[in-house]
Amino acid sequence: MELISGLLYGFSVCFTPANLFACFVGVFVGTLIGVLPGIGPVATMSLLLPVTYAMSPTASIIMMAGIYYGAMYGGSTTSILVNIPGEAASVVTCLDGYQMARQGRAGPALGIAAFGSFIAGTLSVLGIMLLAPPLTSVALRFGPPEIFALLLLGFTMVTYLTAGSKLRAVAMALLGMLLGTVGLDPILATPRFTFGSVTLGDGLGLVPIIMGLFGVSEVLLNIERGVTQEVFETRIKGLLPTREDWKASAGPIARGSVLGFFLGILPGIGAIIPTFISYALERRISRHPERFGRGAIEGVAAPEAANNAATGGAMIPLLTLGIAPNVVMAVLLGAFLIHGVQPGPLLIREHPDMFWGVIASMYVGNVILLILNLPLIGLWVQLLRVPYGLLFPLILLFCIIGVYSEAGNVWDIVVMLAFGVIGLLMKKYGYEASPLVLAFVLGRMAEESLRQSLLLSHGHFNILFTRPLATTLLVVALTVMVLPAIVPPVKRLLGTVGEETGT
Amino acid sequence: MRGADRVSSFVLVVFALVAVNEARKLRFGSLSSPGPGFVPLCLAVALALVGCLLLWRALREPESPAPPAEPGARWKSVVSLAALVAYTFALEPLGFVLATAALLFFFFRVLDGQRWWVALAGAVAVSMLSYLVFARALHVRLPEGPWS
Repeated sequence: MELISGLLYGFSVCFTPANLFACFVGVFVGTLIGVLPGIGPVATMSLLLPVTYAMSPTASIIMMAGIYYGAMYGGSTTSILVNIPGEAASVVTCLDGYQMARQGRAGPALGIAAFGSFIAGTLSVLGIMLLAPPLTSVALRFGPPEIFALLLLGFTMVTYLTAGSKLRAVAMALLGMLLGTVGLDPILATPRFTFGSVTLGDGLGLVPIIMGLFGVSEVLLNIERGVTQEVFETRIKGLLPTREDWKASAGPIARGSVLGFFLGILPGIGAIIPTFISYALERRISRHPERFGRGAIEGVAAPEAANNAATGGAMIPLLTLGIAPNVVMAVLLGAFLIHGVQPGPLLIREHPDMFWGVIASMYVGNVILLILNLPLIGLWVQLLRVPYGLLFPLILLFCIIGVYSEAGNVWDIVVMLAFGVIGLLMKKYGYEASPLVLAFVLGRMAEESLRQSLLLSHGHFNILFTRPLATTLLVVALTVMVLPAIVPPVKRLLGTVGEETGT
Repeated sequence: MRGADRVSSFVLVVFALVAVNEARKLRFGSLSSPGPGFVPLCLAVALALVGCLLLWRALREPESPAPPAEPGARWKSVVSLAALVAYTFALEPLGFVLATAALLFFFFRVLDGQRWWVALAGAVAVSMLSYLVFARALHVRLPEGPWS
């Protein structure tokens, strides 16, 4: 019953005008940038971080979270109508969504994407509500060795489940961790790799790196290659899926939700991998696998459900452990810290208004999104017609404002531009940016927890193997490393989808 | 892309070796009390090893025929980047509104090929509007320049 009273309390927090407005702005902006290719939730959240200084902590987190799951909704629209994923997490939706649109079924495709997202979003909020409080008590037993083991699990996940080359992902993760060591040593405050620069003395900022790798590089690439804007011209009618559509989609939505939620909890997974796995799963168990890729509604419903559920799942390690399981959560963690709130096992006790308020806001946000998306799809489609020549200077401008306003330091813009070039080269040479950024964030925590563990144990690595929780996590990490080799079906499942989408 | 793979992995190895050299200057410490150089050195060495592995794999593959010319214009991204760097350093002396208007005019006119008065009007309008929204309404810190 504690749950229900907690949730009711959360709703009372969420329904204050300021928080409700923050929730609305968050999901609205999220949908907007989800629709626009070339700017994603990570860059947008970093950009709006300074704006939240003036807001209450609860309202800022509500808005930030809203941007994230709002973008997941919006990303599907461009996948279906233009065959361009607005977000990386809706790449898979292109496969069948665009085919449905070409067959004149754009309406049901958009409709099932919105409803699937809504159902999955709601289910995942239920999951957070049920899982977070008990996990909090487990989290209280986490010391440095456990944290280190969990982070190690995150690194193995992010590298071994990447769609592209594993070795390249390992290289990017190492590079990210190395970049994370720039600045003052976390324990002794010795300057490292600063070359006497004041800007580097504070370490490389997360926001300039993210904006460079995800914002600037994308724009530069689009400027070079040019963006083709072909919006589907037919009128979109019949957004409500028919009874047959529902019958075909109910199972995929349910499976996608559960899969996405539990995968999302694991560090290093993010929202993209669950979409690939759920799509592959649906095709594998379907009685007509040949329909997939030719406009099967299941191929839209399952991954859309999975990416929204993963969003919810990813909130769990953040709220209970204070660990960011993916890049988006790293930005959200930054938002917590800016307001002087340390998310972790004590959050639910010390800041119940934030904990329950944010969870309740995700319910409310999902309802707002459903209302926003179904009638307003026409408006979002119009947005796709904004010429890129007009759009890209604005995206660059917003990136610059976001980076500069954080500390008022011009050199942060230089760092962002440098990472823009690095990101452009990485895209061209086939390296992924996500492992780098995630390792950059987790690397600092990992170093701190490793060194604290070694100090605790007077230099014996076996501290990692004598504590049951840490050992369990390490065993899981090891399993993940060898899993692709010993379980060929999993490998095949991941491999085949990767090939089809060309990632 | 195999020639490209050689280049990219070679760059990684060189970067890692530079990092190893820099990390060696920091105190390594011991296992029981790891110093500031402990983790960076381990990471740099690991990165160098992975880079070598990537390089070795790229070298083992036969040389591919020249990759097809990539569609698009590289000059556009180079020019944009130069404009952005110039903008960055003009930002504080000129102030946000003027520097931004100049940058946007450049993008609209040169890269997008708008007529000059359309580009000018658009650039001025957007820079003033964004200043009002971010600096005045949202209280974001932006450089005022000489017109504070």
